[in-house]
Amino acid sequence: MRSASAKTGRRQGRGSRPRPSARAENAGYFRWTGELFDTRRIFDKPEALAGIRVLELTTLVLGPTTADFLGEFGAEVIKVELPPGGDTMRYVSPEATFWKNAALGFFPENHGKYHVGIDLHAGEGKELFKRLAARSDIVVENFRAGTLDRWEIGYRQLKEVNPRLIYVADSGFGQWGPFSLGRVSYDAVAQAVSGMIGITGFPGRPPILCGIFIGDWFGGIMAATAALVALHHRNKTGEGQFIDYAQSEGLIRSLDWTWVRHGLTGKDRGPVGNKDEAQVPAEIFPCRDGFAAIAAPRDEEFHGLCRAMGARELGRDPRFKDLASRQLPANREALLLLIRNWAAKRTRADIEGLAAKHGFAASRVATAEDRYLDDHLRARGTVWAYEDPLYGPMVEHGPAPKLSETPGRLRWAAKPVGWHNEEILTRLLGLPPSRMSELEAKKVVGKWADRPGAKPPEGWSAGGNGR
Amino acid sequence: MSDHPDSWPRFARGMTDPSLAHEKPEALGDLRVLDCSSGNLAALFCSSILAEFGAEVIRCEPPAGDVARLFSPEGLRHRDTGLAYLVEARNKRHITLNLGRPEGRKLLARLARHVDLLIESFRPGQMDAWGIGYRQLRRLNPRLIYLAFSTYGQFGPRAASAIPNYDLTDQSLSGVVYCTGEPEGQGPPDSAVPTKQGNWIASYAGGGWGAFAVMAALAWRWSSGRGQFIDCSPAEAEMRFTDYDVHWYHSHRRVRERIGALNTCVFPYTLVKTRDSYSFIAGFSDINWTGLTNIIGRADLRERYPTTRDRLQNSKMLHGELEAWAAGLTSQEILDRVQDYMLEKRGPGTVVTAPLNRPADTLAESHWWERGVFQKVEDPDYGELLLQAPPWKMSRTPPRIKWACRPVGADNEIVYLRYLGLGKERLRALESRGVL
Repeated sequence: MRSASAKTGRRQGRGSRPRPSARAENAGYFRWTGELFDTRRIFDKPEALAGIRVLELTTLVLGPTTADFLGEFGAEVIKVELPPGGDTMRYVSPEATFWKNAALGFFPENHGKYHVGIDLHAGEGKELFKRLAARSDIVVENFRAGTLDRWEIGYRQLKEVNPRLIYVADSGFGQWGPFSLGRVSYDAVAQAVSGMIGITGFPGRPPILCGIFIGDWFGGIMAATAALVALHHRNKTGEGQFIDYAQSEGLIRSLDWTWVRHGLTGKDRGPVGNKDEAQVPAEIFPCRDGFAAIAAPRDEEFHGLCRAMGARELGRDPRFKDLASRQLPANREALLLLIRNWAAKRTRADIEGLAAKHGFAASRVATAEDRYLDDHLRARGTVWAYEDPLYGPMVEHGPAPKLSETPGRLRWAAKPVGWHNEEILTRLLGLPPSRMSELEAKKVVGKWADRPGAKPPEGWSAGGNGR
Repeated sequence: MSDHPDSWPRFARGMTDPSLAHEKPEALGDLRVLDCSSGNLAALFCSSILAEFGAEVIRCEPPAGDVARLFSPEGLRHRDTGLAYLVEARNKRHITLNLGRPEGRKLLARLARHVDLLIESFRPGQMDAWGIGYRQLRRLNPRLIYLAFSTYGQFGPRAASAIPNYDLTDQSLSGVVYCTGEPEGQGPPDSAVPTKQGNWIASYAGGGWGAFAVMAALAWRWSSGRGQFIDCSPAEAEMRFTDYDVHWYHSHRRVRERIGALNTCVFPYTLVKTRDSYSFIAGFSDINWTGLTNIIGRADLRERYPTTRDRLQNSKMLHGELEAWAAGLTSQEILDRVQDYMLEKRGPGTVVTAPLNRPADTLAESHWWERGVFQKVEDPDYGELLLQAPPWKMSRTPPRIKWACRPVGADNEIVYLRYLGLGKERLRALESRGVL
């Protein structure tokens, strides 16, 4: 399976190249971008958010991603967890199988962070947290609305010690409003209440969850963006501020034309399977060796698809003559059926090659294996290989957008609970070893529990090269 | 408790109620953006975000209008405009410019001197071949940030691909489609397939990442005074969201497969059929499983399946048990029971549930209206439109909607006069030559 896929991956690469003349014309451009964005030079370039410190008190995915994305672009992120168990996400791993005593679910939203274990129920723990907040630019939390206020380390208290502070409160339903009171949220809650699940899948079938934690991840990028917007305002005025981000509201924002159509026509949106109702034709089709998506809504793309299908006459068919005609449900269904029958006889690579040749969009439904083996994604740092001192060789998805002068980067992988206690509490707050031991004895400051998810790999050694 | 003047919700609302947004300053009031993207929802969402935060966004369309104005279900048009565009044109000025003409490209280069950010979505290398790519424009404006959207990006072995950029192909490349949907053998074969999200989630992920990258570039420009080139693929933007998929392949040579309404890591984190609809329900860590089995009165289940691994290995059977319980209750009754357990602290654990909404259900809930999530915008050109508002509540610089959309070229006069000193006569001449 692996070698077959690698082979088709190469075929895909060859098929998608432009014709020779176009290639010659553009060669200079791609030589220039190749140098400008060269991933081997990333660590020789500055970071956009250097000097920004983020203090996070978060669990699961939404809060951690918000801070992680800032960290990928240069912010120093201090992740405070309650020792000894730490973040719940430390125990979320596929098939409940740990890897080197860590949960795979914990890595993708916790790169390059400093892990500190502080018991925030203790008065001295709250005091430490406040001192860290006084030295930070951004605080990110995702507890239930009002929890940190009750613990006296919420925005009301922290802005007193740091008026320049930008405070991001991530949650399911927001910090106020009827649903915010005591209601807990996970990613799938946001998927359910936003209407996203309601418009996904096939009509008449039971609802499905998005395969990934989409409400969390999308929420993370939206909340991190707002933090940077607030930073821009602070650069101009010196003022910090409070940001209330609800993941359900983020998904509502992403449901494109759902709401405007409801307002204009009163029509509720439901699931329609794998087709796009607005960009026509576009659907995911079964083909000989898997599934491929095809999209050709512009007239010129549609004509390209007709040529690829050997059916130029379809471009002149009055039912399909322009996008508005193709969007009418009866025409759309007739057209999609023709493409479906055509695609069924072809391979994914054939379809991708024809798309590149004729100028419409097509792509395979990619697996993790496809991405892992893809030279293109490796060359772009989208699939990022690095060596972690504790976990050894790692391969994960790297920063999504590529910045020519201040590229994002992954430095090291998530670490056990309290891994950086000394590093942070001594460097930032100047706690001497005697005070550290005193706080440890009182269990105000702590490290990992002796259980997979929280603790280091077997046979680890401090300062060793890790295995 | 929430009515107490010192209560957190009262305080938080006082700081962030979006009904007060128009009384407060805008964070990006000093930012000017030229969005020349073509038929690209990721680019449009990106410039929407910046416009919501106060940037002056100038949408630059070809004389006949951007093809994105035609993207709409069932051929629906509202005053000649497709529905998708009405959602992502907010607060933007709209001008026309024909980049196919040398004269049009000259005008674009002149406009680029006046902006902080240029957004485009042409085939990689196209703007450069026209002489108005980042390579050329940075000489005219070293502070310029240049953001290009494309499927395969501006560099790398497949960068020169002619494949245009759409949400569906992006979703498919991202890996999310592959692990979403009902597994083979569950229900009819036509629906037991890799399944896309109903909305344009890859485009929205791409736009979100684009806006984030722009803000990061602005933070660096603040200290360095220099702009830069941002290369953003919406496919890669959504790919960044695929949890541990690539890592799992790396560590165990495993590929995550689709499993409908279950989860690969934990159980229960799932959807169940209720008497009147469906509900999401979760109680997956050991302590939360205790909470859930308390609520459904099935202590026997936690005795027999105490660990995550036990529950995962028996998830189909346990899902059946949950559905047997849920069959007797409405989704609202389930929510009431869970909230009673949680708020009255009747036992340990955090149990989470939510009724499954169709969009009309969401619109019927007062919570979202109270929080200004939906807004009926009275637009001077397009009348009343129901739009989803910017999702952030911010205490000092809240985002906002000022208007919904503008007709093609509606701001030509003001924009070309203000930035290039072109009066009506000149504009008419340019128009007659097909440049505007």
